[in-house]
Amino acid sequence: MGVFGLHKNSHHSHGVRNIDFYASQSKIRHWNDSFKVASSCIILLLCMILDQPEVSITVIVTMGIVNIWANRVPALAYIGLLKVPLAFLAIGCIIIALGISKQPMGDYRVFLCGHYFYTTNEGVGRAAALFFKAMGAVSAMYALTLSTSASELAGVLKKAHVPKAVVELMNMMYRFIFILTEVQGRMKTAAVSRLGYVDFKASCYSFGKIGGNLFLVSLKKANTYYDAMVSRGYEGDLPFWEEEKQVKLWQAGALMLYLCGLAGVYILATR
Amino acid sequence: MTRQQKKLFVLSIAFAAAFAIVPGANAMHIMEGYLPLQFCIAWGVICIPFLVMGFFSIQNKLRENRKNITILAMSGAFIFVISSLKIPSVTGSCSHMTGTGLGAILFGPGAVSILGIIVLVFQAVMLAHGGLTSLGANTFSMAVAGPFLSYGVYMVCKKCKVNRRVSVFLAAALGDIFTYCVTSFQLAVAYPSESGGMLASAGKFLAVFAPTQLPLAMIEGLLTTIIIITLENYAQPELRDVGYLESK
Repeated sequence: MGVFGLHKNSHHSHGVRNIDFYASQSKIRHWNDSFKVASSCIILLLCMILDQPEVSITVIVTMGIVNIWANRVPALAYIGLLKVPLAFLAIGCIIIALGISKQPMGDYRVFLCGHYFYTTNEGVGRAAALFFKAMGAVSAMYALTLSTSASELAGVLKKAHVPKAVVELMNMMYRFIFILTEVQGRMKTAAVSRLGYVDFKASCYSFGKIGGNLFLVSLKKANTYYDAMVSRGYEGDLPFWEEEKQVKLWQAGALMLYLCGLAGVYILATR
Repeated sequence: MTRQQKKLFVLSIAFAAAFAIVPGANAMHIMEGYLPLQFCIAWGVICIPFLVMGFFSIQNKLRENRKNITILAMSGAFIFVISSLKIPSVTGSCSHMTGTGLGAILFGPGAVSILGIIVLVFQAVMLAHGGLTSLGANTFSMAVAGPFLSYGVYMVCKKCKVNRRVSVFLAAALGDIFTYCVTSFQLAVAYPSESGGMLASAGKFLAVFAPTQLPLAMIEGLLTTIIIITLENYAQPELRDVGYLESK
């Protein structure tokens, strides 16, 4: 049980590391960050604005290829990542397709507890279109997050003139998240090995105490880190070294070609 | 089986399946691409005043003492880690704290709006919980509405001299429930039901999420109370630093 609990616990700390890990080993991590942000946002927005299942499916497939081939995510792991939002999406689509009424209506219906649960062909179509649209958008977002780490994204935000204090907070938080995740993991291992998660009541107490302890440790560390920063000349400005990445002509060309392709699919689908 | 029975059977399976996946890791984060674009923009715009207020509150804190930058960053990281942990649950499902109540009580709702939006960006980017286009809607429900309600409840309880632990529990649990109501409302506004309009749709979303969210809110209240008790016992100076306890 203890080992099992440990195993289950590690699922999320791995989650933090997983996406970030793939971003650090992606083949396209040396591409210009702003270009990557802009291109995946354009694809994401196109997917949402055009709202055409054919376009969405094209995006799902092509972004899947980008993620597996260029971002070097193993296919099985990528499917695992796609499953993350699936729970929400499944419920969301069912609710949209399903209607409840006192009178019999809709193309398909079932009488249950004095109410009709019904759905229409149109409703099912709407839910399916929404499903593909959302999955397309998620694929486009993955193409960005699996190739660009969170701190590089903070760099892009800085260039986009997001207030300095916020970007600085982001940069620090990004680093602290890994430290705290590790500290929390060790605390949890210690608690599990002392039967701290043996039943529900014990788990609640252990969770709460770990939370409190974590807060305490984090504030102590915050003070230490501030002292360390000041002793190295920190005066309210935290410059990070950033790799200089140029946008190559062929990259811009490939993006244009891809967008034209999507437009072509849209025109073919709506004709 | 008659055809009617068959249909009923299939529907019951679909229902069971829907409820079985409800305790998904991130049931209350609206996912990427689910909301239509105009709603994404609208919710983002609604958040702006709160974010501006939060930004000024953070700037004031930094002006007071430059040292607050690492404390704020650590607090943000703390909220991220706490909200990414699986919490103990009776059913064995996989659920998370929102951390909104805890954040609001410790740091005040203003600072939490900025910390919250950064946490939500990181959750979207690093855990795939939520998304970039749905950031506005998620920020409103989790970093604005929930924390403000929690803080309000906490303050009212404090004025009425309610036991501190009870007030922490109420603030965290009600904040969680409110977050879930706001999310359901956001979903319903975007996708009103054909027969009953927005209200019917809101009812559907509330009903589907209720079996997981209501017990979760109680557990969140409980855990937040334990965390606060632990802190009151061991971390009084630190609590003064973040402004939870009045300085002597």
